[in-house]
Amino acid sequence: MIRFVELSKSFGSRTILNKISFEVRTGEILFILGTSGTGKSVLLKNLVGLLRPDSGQIWVDDQEISRYSEEQYLSIRRQIGMVFQQPALFDSLTVFENVAFGLRRLEKLLPDELSKRVIESLQLVHLHQLENRYPNELSYGQQKRVSIARTLALKPKVLLFDEPTTGLDPVTTTTVNELIFELSQKLKTTSIVVSHDMKCAIDIAHRIIVLDKGHIVDQGTPDELKKSEQELVKEFLREVLQTSQSAPTKEKLP
Amino acid sequence: MINQIGLAVIFLNKILSTLFKKGISREDFFEQTLKVTQQSFLTVTMAGFFVGAIMTIQFALQLKEYAALAYLGGLATSGTLRELGPLLIAFMLSGKVGAFTAAELGTMKVTEQMDAIRCLGADPFKEIIAPRFLGIIVASLFLLLFGIGMSVFGGLLMANIFAQINADQYVRHIPTIVKLSSIISGFFKVFWFSFCLGWIATFLGYSTTGGAKGVGLSVVNTAVATMVVIVIVDWITTTLFNSVLSMLAF
Ligand SMILES: Nc1ncnc2c1ncn2[C@@H]1O[C@H](COP(=O)(O)OP(=O)(O)OP(=O)(O)O)[C@@H](O)[C@H]1O
Ligand SMILES: [Mg+2]
Repeated sequence: MIRFVELSKSFGSRTILNKISFEVRTGEILFILGTSGTGKSVLLKNLVGLLRPDSGQIWVDDQEISRYSEEQYLSIRRQIGMVFQQPALFDSLTVFENVAFGLRRLEKLLPDELSKRVIESLQLVHLHQLENRYPNELSYGQQKRVSIARTLALKPKVLLFDEPTTGLDPVTTTTVNELIFELSQKLKTTSIVVSHDMKCAIDIAHRIIVLDKGHIVDQGTPDELKKSEQELVKEFLREVLQTSQSAPTKEKLP
Repeated sequence: MINQIGLAVIFLNKILSTLFKKGISREDFFEQTLKVTQQSFLTVTMAGFFVGAIMTIQFALQLKEYAALAYLGGLATSGTLRELGPLLIAFMLSGKVGAFTAAELGTMKVTEQMDAIRCLGADPFKEIIAPRFLGIIVASLFLLLFGIGMSVFGGLLMANIFAQINADQYVRHIPTIVKLSSIISGFFKVFWFSFCLGWIATFLGYSTTGGAKGVGLSVVNTAVATMVVIVIVDWITTTLFNSVLSMLAF
């Protein structure tokens, strides 16, 4: 279980997160929704120690981790894998080496075990033919899926997805959402998914948190949120209704 | 500004402790040294050639008046080695390698590659930053050697054409004037110039925020900051070196 207690984070004089508290239950899919710039990425990065909170606590099981050293965070990062908003692939390495990057450093595997793990991970995102390409030879959607495979290769117990489907076509979006759902069903992986996409949140989330201006404005199961009185939540829901009525090809801006 | 300098010092401390305590992989170090050398080899050798040529022509005009043309080769080489060579190489590298390094690290930062490296169990200081820092320093020392070699060649050629001094005469007095102290001075300077260059470029690159625009800003800041710092360091090292020398010599 993961618990945030009164977490605050500012950059200079700008407060991004203001005493945020919530918990993530083991095995659930938690969606975090919010408009651009509300600090969703900052929140995820605090959990894996890429950024440090100014105050507040982060509990993983029964450890308070927010004051861990960079070395101590290594064990946290083995358990909690993060898929970044951008593909963040290493340009000078092939797809295979990108996916193998973490395995080479965090796990001692024999060469054929390693390549088995890499291929397995690429298969999960339907990209097993491309392992010898370089990132700049792939489309954006393919790059994003490689980056998901790179995180999955380490088999983390908790997965953080920072807008995994933004910028992807509808078919790939469905693939990725199904993948998140399957991982939670089969491997009991806990997932925290940051997104703008209320529709897919309603489809696969166990619970949803809505963030705005550094605060949590509402949270609950999809059914609970559908009854929400919060303006922002209603706004998100309206968008779902609109997109389901209008043509399905309508693209949302990232 | 003060804040930035403080952060830069902490950053340098991290690089140095990575280098001395954790060590870096040999392949990473060779790769970076080779890359910097390749990137700047042509520019530095060309510059070396022409600096040697210019120095020789200038000295030739003045030495002629005192009928001291025999010392032409020695003086031109010594001047290049002590002052112009290191300074020029540092400027070349700051425009080329400094800007490149800042852009490379800045891009890795804003595209979240640095974050990804940390999340995948690697240390950016060990695998990315320290090898680049050390690579810049070692490559600069090599480049000084090549540059000086070319400047002797350029000077020799000019002396031949403009002062009718043949290669043998030109080279003969190089050892009389170019003392050990000139050589040490040249390498001492290049070491500190490239130290600052590597430090500033990796620091500003790694502290980049704000997307593609931020990367552009880091590149410009690196170019400006390194040039200014190099001139200041030149003044400091020259003063320091001369006072140490006058203390030793009597
Ligand atoms: N390292 C940093 N230094 C300074 N400011 C930062 C840093 N990281 C993020 N910010 C600022 O914090 C705010 C929140 O950023 P964040 O990336 O978390 O937004 P977000 O909710 O993920 O938005 P988006 O949906 O656009 O990704 C932004 O205004 C951003 O400029
Ligand atoms: Mg974000």
